[in-house]
Amino acid sequence: MTAPSPATVGGSWRRDEARLGWALALPALGVIGLVALFPIVWTFWESLHLHDLRMPWRGRPFVGGANYAEAIADARFLEALAHTAGFVAATVTLEIGAGLLLALALDRLARARGLIRTAVLLPWAIPTVVAALVWRFIFESPAGLANAALVRLGMAPPTWFADAAAAWIPLVLADVWKTTPFVALLLLAGLQNIDRSLHDAAAIDGAGPYQQFRQITLPLLTPALLVAFLFRTLDAFRVFDIVYVMTGGGPGTATESIAMYTFTVIMQNLRFGFGSALSMIIFAVSFVFALAGIRLLGGHAFEDRPA
Amino acid sequence: MRHNRITAAAALIVTIAAAPSCTRTQTRVLTVSGSAVGREGDLLRRQIERFARSHPSLTVAVRATPDAADARHQLYVQWLNARTADPDVLQLDVVWTAEFAAAGWITSLDRFRPPVDDFFPAAVAADRWKGALYALPWFVDVGMLYRRTDLVPRPPRDLADLTQLARLAQDGAGVPYGMVWQGARYEGLVTVFLEHLGAFGGAILDDSGRVAVDSEAAEQALTYMRDAIHAERIVPAAALAWQEEQTRLAFQAGQAAFMRNWPYAYALLQDPSQSSVAGRVAVTPMPGAPGGAPTAALGGSALAINAHSDQPAEAYALIDFLLQPEQMIERTRIVGQYPARPALYATQALAEALAVSPSDALDVIARAVPRPISPVYHELSQILQISLHRALTRQQEPRPALQEAAAAMRALLARVKLAPPGS
Repeated sequence: MTAPSPATVGGSWRRDEARLGWALALPALGVIGLVALFPIVWTFWESLHLHDLRMPWRGRPFVGGANYAEAIADARFLEALAHTAGFVAATVTLEIGAGLLLALALDRLARARGLIRTAVLLPWAIPTVVAALVWRFIFESPAGLANAALVRLGMAPPTWFADAAAAWIPLVLADVWKTTPFVALLLLAGLQNIDRSLHDAAAIDGAGPYQQFRQITLPLLTPALLVAFLFRTLDAFRVFDIVYVMTGGGPGTATESIAMYTFTVIMQNLRFGFGSALSMIIFAVSFVFALAGIRLLGGHAFEDRPA
Repeated sequence: MRHNRITAAAALIVTIAAAPSCTRTQTRVLTVSGSAVGREGDLLRRQIERFARSHPSLTVAVRATPDAADARHQLYVQWLNARTADPDVLQLDVVWTAEFAAAGWITSLDRFRPPVDDFFPAAVAADRWKGALYALPWFVDVGMLYRRTDLVPRPPRDLADLTQLARLAQDGAGVPYGMVWQGARYEGLVTVFLEHLGAFGGAILDDSGRVAVDSEAAEQALTYMRDAIHAERIVPAAALAWQEEQTRLAFQAGQAAFMRNWPYAYALLQDPSQSSVAGRVAVTPMPGAPGGAPTAALGGSALAINAHSDQPAEAYALIDFLLQPEQMIERTRIVGQYPARPALYATQALAEALAVSPSDALDVIARAVPRPISPVYHELSQILQISLHRALTRQQEPRPALQEAAAAMRALLARVKLAPPGS
């Protein structure tokens, strides 16, 4: 009989500790598995089947990649993908640009900070569907606010929602109005983390406001900008409610986003198999983008910066 | 804090899970779902109360559903696909019956031996699937031409005449719009197109069930509609985003000389408390054109029984009650919807309840054209809506738009193996 060496005691203690750790994490892991992993796996399984609620007599046969092949060859899906990419590019650029200006202004604010910040955040707090309805009313009627304003300025406004190009303007505008405050809030947090003394030192060295912005603010704000970019891109890629309420994807299918098309396929045409394949494609694109973003972000966030 | 929230969430889930079984075991609640807002909702509740009084063992409740057809369709799909027993009775749009019957969501009514011969044959035909009857017509809707009698002295002879009269009213009387119809990309656009299509002698499917939306007549009809907006400028471009209510609001505000709409609008337009054109409105059939005949699209609602209802006999009793002549005439009087029983059009009671003369209404209904009866109708319609809307918003010329629609509709019917033989 030999007494257990201190090393094995420590080892078993560490093992117990690890076991306890897993046990404590288990409920959370279970919940993640149930609400995140399970639906994804289920959707993927569904996407490999022909499943059309309108025709139960056809059963639910396994069709392999047929739904994916149909998606790749589906002109409406590819157009929707292009529309979504255009929407993402336009809204994210405008939101980050406007959000940055807003954040810089808020950062400089001396008086009534709380009040003004709350006021700026208001659009973000309004439910999207409500905001979208209001924007639709502004643009829909020939006697609406937008047209009345343009006519007063001596312009001939288009019939917004009956024009394949012009219909994008209210959509993008509504989204920018709605989400710029969110971007501004993220960037404001980033701005307030920047040490004031850096600006003071630069000012003493003779750097003007523009130089200070380029050399100090912008580099130190990069992580916050990346977070905003990532959040907004992933969100804009899944855009649904604004399009659903404002244009319904029209005129024709000129403003249809992929989320909107997938919704139509599943909820209106009841093609669960094909719709699941579309969902998986959206998921895959978002996932790859999120991974790339986290990589990029990780590199910056954990970099050692002499501050 | 967090614990409280989790507990609350868990409690909520348990409550939700337990709720349906509770209500089922305590009392037998018979539920009916459909339009439950405004006058229509009040009327339904009143009629159901009357039914409940003669059936004291039953409690009847209304399940409110969205008034927009697409939204209601979605809710029904969620309920029925989840095999809920509730609601027992469903108000179906005339074009949904085949889809719901094919999916096994509604039960065949044949075992109740319904008096099908008492209803309009075209409406009953839309309620059949593979020979069995799955719903009974509740009311019929037909597209009509509303006219401002102070601006336009007589109804138009044909579509070309309509254009002339509309322009005269715009130029002479200064009314901003000559004509308004439902031009948004939704089911209503198909019914408006169907009426123009019939006027020129075309159809969505031909007599043997083959897709015919790329016909000469279809091109003429769509070209007429497009030119009405962009060349003749009698229809405002804004109407390309309008559904029924926007056209009615424009018309009752005195902004249009003509309007295409369903019968429901009449009573509202004649109500001086909300309409500035009360007393100056007349209704006639939609006009025809060379090569075709005046055509109305056939719409309306039917009543069906949820296939998973645990009280189908009681549900049928309620349907039978709602379809009795007294209930139908009351419906006409209060919400302006036309009864589905042809025999009623000879009665004095209906003549008093109806906005137009019963024989005129009967004429329009007799000529009304149903939309295709198919379990994939929703998708067929969607394909057509997209192409129509592209042509009307000048993204495409009418001919290629219709050819594209026809090809996609044929491909769909072939894919689901519902194409007629020989196509």
